[in-house]
Amino acid sequence: MKITLTVNNECREFEITPGESLLELLRSAGYKSVKKGCGSGDCGACTVILNDHAVTSCLVFAAKADGGSVITAEGLEHDGKLHPIQEAFLEEGAVQCGYCTPGMEMATLDLLTHNPKPSTDEIKEALSGNLCRCTGYVKQVKAVKSAAKKMSGGSL
Amino acid sequence: MSRSQLMDYARPSSLDEAHALLRKCGKTARIIGGGIDLARFLPADVTTLIDISKLGLSYVEERPVAIAIGAATTFAQLLGDRTISRVLGGVIGQMLRKVGSPLLRNLATVGGTIVSAHSWSDVIPLFIALNAQVVLHDKEAEPIPLSDLYGSRALLTGSIVREVVIPVPSAGCAAAFQKFGRTELDIALVNCACAVEIHSGKCATARIAVGGTPYLATRLPEAENALLGAALSLETIDKAARVARNTTVVADDRRASADYRRQLIYVLIKRCLLEISEKPEEG
Repeated sequence: MKITLTVNNECREFEITPGESLLELLRSAGYKSVKKGCGSGDCGACTVILNDHAVTSCLVFAAKADGGSVITAEGLEHDGKLHPIQEAFLEEGAVQCGYCTPGMEMATLDLLTHNPKPSTDEIKEALSGNLCRCTGYVKQVKAVKSAAKKMSGGSL
Repeated sequence: MSRSQLMDYARPSSLDEAHALLRKCGKTARIIGGGIDLARFLPADVTTLIDISKLGLSYVEERPVAIAIGAATTFAQLLGDRTISRVLGGVIGQMLRKVGSPLLRNLATVGGTIVSAHSWSDVIPLFIALNAQVVLHDKEAEPIPLSDLYGSRALLTGSIVREVVIPVPSAGCAAAFQKFGRTELDIALVNCACAVEIHSGKCATARIAVGGTPYLATRLPEAENALLGAALSLETIDKAARVARNTTVVADDRRASADYRRQLIYVLIKRCLLEISEKPEEG
């Protein structure tokens, strides 16, 4: 079956099978920032923004996303420049092996889009579906705070 | 993950159309809302999914005597809804914040939860305590009390859950929810919900439901009776919690022993009732 999907602001058509997940579709279309981890919604490595909300793409049927809009980590960069969220993750050392990073960044994007000045608890809650097995979570929380500051023009 | 058996992902343009297709396909079709459960585990005989998530079933409506929640409403939408946050001190939101991660709450729907009927569901015991009614598309005039729905699974076969209706609580009603899991994100080892109506200092009605036992959530009539007509004192609360511990059917599974679950039931029901007793009486 055919579906239409806007990925990172680019409208594209995809030929899919009815059982295909959004994760499988995105990876096979070259969006390799979207990682496969557990395949059951527990780890968050496959997190993307679907229609303005962060979701685990392993649990979304690609057919369900038809007509929708998806953002992956590939869509964060602008004119070859890193997004403030990416900068903040780098600067705070919130990236070690990097497998969880794109998912964390997508969860962060969802949070900061809807809540530009989150509290520490709100940040922890927003990242609670994204597991990191390298660094722990302190640096990611710092990175989200730093990103919030950058995105608001340093006024926090 | 093998879902290659799927032949069709249908996106009907109306509930009638969805229902007709469901009738035609019988056991080989499933209704899909958020799709979390079906993505994780697709029964071997299912070859058709029927998506009802874009048929206008995402809503919370305040009606004269009830609050209606459309079947395709996600947990995240409920968490952001003002009407829901006002019901009984925001108890529905307090419960939902303990369900999975925000990533899953952006997908999980109320209808999907009702139909999946997981024994560990946090939504089901609270909705049973709140006397929720389930409206099926083809039996609009006869809402089914959620507490009766699972007695006869046949009720759900070939039907589509359209909405869940929660009666507006009367003045003097208070509710609480408690869950215990190994971690914040894990499913409940035991969960419980209590809704108590207090008039002139005495319990006029009580609804207590326990889930994760590890059986599907159920009401505890004996524990409810222990509250009726009494003031919600520490003694009454302790008595009701003990009755709950002694009358709930529990079992061992790989997550917890039956004995541990009994102890949890006692503690969690006590916590719920204490919380309710500390709420000021309204009305």
